[in-house]
This record gives sequence, structure tokens and C-alpha cells, in this order.
Amino acid sequence: MDFSFSIIVEAWPTFEAGLITTVIFCSVAGVLGLALAVPIALAQLSRSWSWRVPAKVLVEIVRDTPFLVQVFVIYFVFPATGWPMSSTVAGILALTIHGAVYFSESIRGAILSVPRGQVDAARAAGMSYPLTLRRIVFPQMMGYVLPPIGNQIVGLIKDSAVLSIISVPELSMAFQNVLGTTFAAPEAFVAVAVLYWLLTSAVTLAMSRLERLTPTHRSTQEMTSLLARVDR
Amino acid sequence: MTLEWKHVTHALPFLLEGTLATVAVSLLALGLGLLVGIFVMLGRRSRFKALRALTVAYMSIVRGTPLFIQILIVYYALPALGLDIPRFESGVIALSLNSGAYISEMIRGGLMAIPKGQLDAAKACGMRSGLIWRRITLPQVLVLILPPLTMEFTGLLKSSALLSVIGLVELTRRAQQVIGETLRSPEVWLTTAALYFVMCFALGAVTRRLEKSAAEYRL
Repeated sequence: MDFSFSIIVEAWPTFEAGLITTVIFCSVAGVLGLALAVPIALAQLSRSWSWRVPAKVLVEIVRDTPFLVQVFVIYFVFPATGWPMSSTVAGILALTIHGAVYFSESIRGAILSVPRGQVDAARAAGMSYPLTLRRIVFPQMMGYVLPPIGNQIVGLIKDSAVLSIISVPELSMAFQNVLGTTFAAPEAFVAVAVLYWLLTSAVTLAMSRLERLTPTHRSTQEMTSLLARVDR
Repeated sequence: MTLEWKHVTHALPFLLEGTLATVAVSLLALGLGLLVGIFVMLGRRSRFKALRALTVAYMSIVRGTPLFIQILIVYYALPALGLDIPRFESGVIALSLNSGAYISEMIRGGLMAIPKGQLDAAKACGMRSGLIWRRITLPQVLVLILPPLTMEFTGLLKSSALLSVIGLVELTRRAQQVIGETLRSPEVWLTTAALYFVMCFALGAVTRRLEKSAAEYRL
């Protein structure tokens, strides 16, 4: 079997445009998703059921249906109920909601990793709840939240490939266009796989750099076990 | 526009048939994925450097590229290499190759949980490594990975929706066929989403049960 780079070189403008669209969609949805994830996580941890129940329902619905079906529901059901929907808006909306729910699950876990006693102590000392979150909880949870968030950003990039089905012109759409024009040349398969792989690997690498830069706070439990080791 | 459900009630048996197909494809992919996962795991601990490098590359490719692309590659690229595979088989192959990479990670976690003393004891009793693997390690690992495996099954139920793209007739494809007939896409998509939700939500409850009993299971 021959493998000719000229096919990839010729198709490069198509791939490049697709790659840029994928990056833009994932960046926008990633930022919006992270911004939405914090309130969703806090609502799930809320003491009042009027916050907890809607958040839980949203999380369960998103987690228990395929992303593809979510995309179809947003793209076809919203217009029927009077919300006009372009493939761009539907794509970003679907990706954002999907991302927000998965991000919120890791944020919720990270918040829970901060010992409850610290929150109680801060509240008893007269700090308001938002201040407690900002000063006590958020700084300590960073070490716990970054690794899963990194994985979920990679997941977001991979999920975005589905958006070609509602004709968002992203990387997998570019790939399918190249497939059509080159009569399914193996080069196209290699090119698209390598591009996605480079993109996800770059995110993984950047996230592990970020993790190293973030000071890791240790819980009281870990501290006591560390100190015990020093004593010996 | 208001939603009209009577078309959907007519098509419900048709959709339920698709649901069954989704379950069947996912179960098949889970079983084959478990096999792939065991082999990938063995490859990673192999004595041969080339085999280890190969499995590392495999894991990296599977986890670094979208499943959607993997499905298209298996469907379009294998025939180009001269292998003629029908769409059902090619869909199941793509899903199980993908799932196998993730399952091998679960097996690795399960292996790490088995106390080293047991393996030493088995060795001291004169058991060969193959026998230790069959009698001591594998049975315990399979129990340990049962909860994450049910979670993987939920994942497969959801990701098998992507097989509709290559025309494999499962729930999502059925939904598209029903829409072709009834032209009522909002109602059909909501029903389809509900069917997936019921399956995955129920499995989630099973997973939580198993997690509890696995936590009680002592090695």
C-alpha cells in the first residue's frame, strides 16, 4: 500500500479550517461550561431541596443519555417549541451543557474533599458562605479538581467530533469532506487521527504543567500522617 | 407548535426493538472489550519491549482520538485494506477495541488492589505463573472490576448511539427511521432520550449497589 503525503498536503486547508473550528467550539464551550459548573455543583450541595433537586435532575438527564441524542434534542426540539436554532448555536449549547455537568461532578467531589470542619469553623468565625468558599474551599480544592477537569476537556474535544452530524464544520466534518474527495484514502484517516491525538495530547500536557504549578494543599489527615513520618 | 404524541405511540414497539438492539450491541462489545482489555493488560506487563510499546501506543491512540472517528476508520479503512466486514461486525469491533483500552485500565487498578503476599504465597506453594493468574489473580480481579464494568456498560449503551452513523440499526437509527416515516422529530427524539435515560439510570442504581458490596468484599 502506498502512502503519499501529497494527499494530506493537498487537503491541508480543509483540515486546518476544521481544526480551528474544533478549537474555537471547544474553547467557548469549555469556558462557558466551567462557569456554569460551579453554580451547578454548589446547587447540588445546597441544603435547600429547591436548589438540589433541579441540579440533580439536570445532572442525571445529561449523564444518562447519549451526547448524540442530546445534540438532536437541542437541534430539533428547541426550534419546534419556538426557539430558532442554528447548527452553531445548537452545537455550542450541547457541548456547553454536557461539559458543565461533567465539570460540576468533579468540582462537587473536590469541594467535598475539603474537610467539613474547616467550613464550619470559618462560618463560626463569622465568614459569609461566599467568603468561606473563596478563602477556604476554592484554594484548597485546586489540586483535586485539575486532574479530572483535564480529562474532561479531552473528553469535550472528542465529543465535539459528533457535531459534524448536525453539519458543524469542525475537524471530523473536514475529514468526511476529504474522504469524499479522495475516495477514502487511508492518508485521510491517518491525518485526522493524528490531528485529534495532537490536540488532546497538548491539552493533557498543558494540564499536567498547570497541576505542577498549582500549590497542592494537604488535608489535615494527610498532614498528620506526614508529621507522624517525620517524628519517626 | 405543540407536541403530538400519537405518532410516537404507534412507533413505540419499533423503538423498543431498537432498544433491544442497543442492549445487544453494547453487551457484545462489553464482552469482547473485556477480552481485549485482558490482552492489552498482558501486553503491558509483557517481557518483550516491542509488545509493551505497541500496547502503550494502542492505549494512547484509542484514548486520544474520538470514538466517532474510530468507528469511521474501522468502517471505511478496513475494506480499503481488503477486509470486507459488514456494518454490524465493524461497529461491534470499533466499540470493543475502544472499550478494551479503558477496561485494561480498570483491570490494572484491580491488579494493584490484590495483596502481593497472596502471589508470594502462591509462588511458595509451587504454582506456576499461568496457574496463579488463572486461580488467584483473575477471579479476584473480575469481582473487583465488576462495578466499573457496569459503568462501562452504561458508557457503551450511550456511545453505541454513534453506530447509527454507519447505518447499524440500533435505537438512534430506529429513531431516525421513525422520523423519516412520521416527520415528527421533536417527539421521537424526546422519546428516544427517555428510553436511553431509563436504561442508564437503572444501570446506575445497579452500579451503586455493586460498589457497596465490592467495598465489603475482602481480599
